[in-house]
Amino acid sequence: MGSDNMKIMEAYVGEYASGKSEIALNRALELLKEGRKPVTLVDLDLVEPFYTLRPIKKELENKGLEVIAWETNQTIGLGEAGCIIKPEMRWALRKPGDVILDIGYGVEGAKKLNLVEDAGKGLKVYVVTNIARPITGTVKDIIEYVKTLGPVDGLINNSHLGDDTDLEIIQEGAQVVTEAAEILGLPVIWTTVEERFADQIGEVDVKGNPVFLIKRHMNRSFW
Amino acid sequence: MSKAPNMPKSWREETKPHKFCPGCGHGLVLKALGQAIDELGIQDRVVFGCDIGCSLLSFDFFNVDSVQTHHGRTTPVVTGVKRARPDRICIAYMGDGGGYAIGSQHLVNAAARNEKITVILANNCNYGMTGGQMAPTSLPGMKTETTPYGRDPEVTGYPTQGPEMVSAITREGAYVARGTVANVRQLKNYIKKALQNQVEGNGFSFVEALSGCPTNWSTNAKDTWAFIEETMPKYFKVGELKAPAKKEE
Amino acid sequence: MAEKPIQGEKRVFMTGNEVAAWAALAAEADIMYGYPITPQNEIMHYWTRLSPKFDRGFLQTEDEISAGFTTCGGVLSGKRAFTATAGPGNTLMQESMTMAEMMRIPLVCVVQQRGGPSTATVIYSQQEATMTCYGGNGEGFRIVYSTSTHQELYDYVIKGFNTAWTYRFPTFVLGDGYQAKMRESLHIYDPATKGINMVATEPSLGLEGTPGVDRDPQHLRNTYNTEEELYEVVSELVADYEKAAPEIVEYQTFDTDDAEIVIVAHGIVTRAAQAAVKELREEGIKVGHFRPITLRPFPANELKEIASKAKKLIVMESAQGQFDRMVKHAIYGLTTPIEDYFKPGMGITSEEIVEYVKKGM
Repeated sequence: MGSDNMKIMEAYVGEYASGKSEIALNRALELLKEGRKPVTLVDLDLVEPFYTLRPIKKELENKGLEVIAWETNQTIGLGEAGCIIKPEMRWALRKPGDVILDIGYGVEGAKKLNLVEDAGKGLKVYVVTNIARPITGTVKDIIEYVKTLGPVDGLINNSHLGDDTDLEIIQEGAQVVTEAAEILGLPVIWTTVEERFADQIGEVDVKGNPVFLIKRHMNRSFW
Repeated sequence: MSKAPNMPKSWREETKPHKFCPGCGHGLVLKALGQAIDELGIQDRVVFGCDIGCSLLSFDFFNVDSVQTHHGRTTPVVTGVKRARPDRICIAYMGDGGGYAIGSQHLVNAAARNEKITVILANNCNYGMTGGQMAPTSLPGMKTETTPYGRDPEVTGYPTQGPEMVSAITREGAYVARGTVANVRQLKNYIKKALQNQVEGNGFSFVEALSGCPTNWSTNAKDTWAFIEETMPKYFKVGELKAPAKKEE
Repeated sequence: MAEKPIQGEKRVFMTGNEVAAWAALAAEADIMYGYPITPQNEIMHYWTRLSPKFDRGFLQTEDEISAGFTTCGGVLSGKRAFTATAGPGNTLMQESMTMAEMMRIPLVCVVQQRGGPSTATVIYSQQEATMTCYGGNGEGFRIVYSTSTHQELYDYVIKGFNTAWTYRFPTFVLGDGYQAKMRESLHIYDPATKGINMVATEPSLGLEGTPGVDRDPQHLRNTYNTEEELYEVVSELVADYEKAAPEIVEYQTFDTDDAEIVIVAHGIVTRAAQAAVKELREEGIKVGHFRPITLRPFPANELKEIASKAKKLIVMESAQGQFDRMVKHAIYGLTTPIEDYFKPGMGITSEEIVEYVKKGM
């Protein structure tokens, strides 16, 4: 592990509330489970750092993950500010081992990558998409949206309805996202699915994209 | 319906005589405004907003749709109307307290956004309606109810230079002038140009009018006019500060 | 004419702020005036992203004072105009809201409560209940819907426009930072498919025809000369408000028929209360829950009826007694004991409610 060409660097971008943080987090934990170490998860959600990883940061660190994010006791006095970058975030890609970036949305959320040193060197950028969000609800919407992001390396179908998710929405998402990806000339990296659907969906979705089973962590930040 | 001689057509006769004090400058500013509305033929399109302070007494002054707002808030109300109804000619009428103190942030930002409204501000160097307190425009040494020993610029600053400020922060397309009730013809021309600027959709327009407040100044007619004509212009220079370039004929 | 933002009905997953923006679009809102403040920002973000596609307007003002007053101007112009704010922004906006009360300006304002007093937190509270209901130098001639789910946010933003334009009182949808930021699924819909017709708007200024020639001018004011004149105006407002109140008031009850203990809560706390009641009932504990949906007007008679049969009320809120005062005012005269469970600026979970109820038995 740890040789430079093996280093995994991935950034998860996407629409507001598309599930970026959840997937970044699951990916980081997955890498850890594969025995890769160290794995660093960086919360670059500059839009609202106080609503994302903050409540579960300690718990993740206990699992062995390196987490670069604001902590509750550091945010006192920052109050309104949703837009503060920690110095460690800027240099995160130079950390040894794998680095997973969770990028906030904003009008040009992907541009936040400009704030990170070495972002041009081998970093893969994946777009998380949920068709239950009307702004990325159709093939046309997704294409329009992805084109605003600059260079990206693949799409992720993360279509779901929270507690009300069913197989139908996941597979419908697979169809729509795959069609958009084909037009954009991009691969579909995964269809991400909550573990409770493991038996129903199997190893690939209806379009043959690999399924990545995830656990929901973020919903335990209060409500 | 025949109107009294010289009464602008857009004035509402039913609400005359008006309620301003004898010798008050508001009547003259509103006369100039009425004439300007008449000459431009825009009476059917005007929405008029007025502040609290003496300017509120103008809420039923014209035969135009009018709304009286809160102190300092006429600019945003009228901005809200203009944004919702760009086809209307929207006028915000206020005093120096409403424009330069409590509502200064609205004036500054409406000007900076180049809102296509017309703000007309009567400057009489004091708060009239509340009983003659110091205003942002009170002159150095001027005795008011809250500067009983005279305004000390070291303590309370110098008179606000409204049109100069607005002129500095607006782009081309804005119209900015300072007139005086001592020259109603000129004042009418300034107001007319300001409204014309809005009609043409060029940008923000602002006219300050030097005005008199004999009631709170405690001046007779002669002294009132001397103050307006001689004293005030020492601090407030009358003239046009900014006008859009003439369009090709 | 741009096409409808939502065709038919659709299952979606989003945050509360986005819900408010979509609801305003679906409700045919014409224009939003607003100023940034957390945690309501995404209402503006989504409105500004979506509104140009559907020919709707937006103005970012210099502060919330201006946001409130420009909204008044938009409504007076006959537009379905709205704004959104929170915390200190809500404080600044109160001045314009009193003008809306006095002049019967049917604006809609979405409030996403944050911690207070002062700047406090950007996160959550129920500490803007008093201000939203009674802020400013007025009598609280407002309508305030306190929502608890994204579905309700959607439903009540749409309904809020119709309530406002039907009764001509400023109407608030009172959410909070949790509702603003949390994400859950809901159905969004074109109101017409649910048989909801948007109440027609009408201008108070800028009417057609030349005033004084074709018609009288509109001369609108909110200032009066004498006590008697004002008293007459306010009495009319009181009479209109009281007449409308029974038609507007909304509430929900959960297992209150035989309840010995009744939890009284509003807004998002009702979610925890509902879950707690379910759990406690399974253990055979006779507990129920009363939830006003409208804080103004308050469902006083309905609560009084239920409270009179209970052995104990527990008032639970994420504030230090703001809601409690409304409850006590509503049931004045009853001797039913009242316990307070106040956590200003903190969320309340069903687990802690269950624990609290059991401990008190």
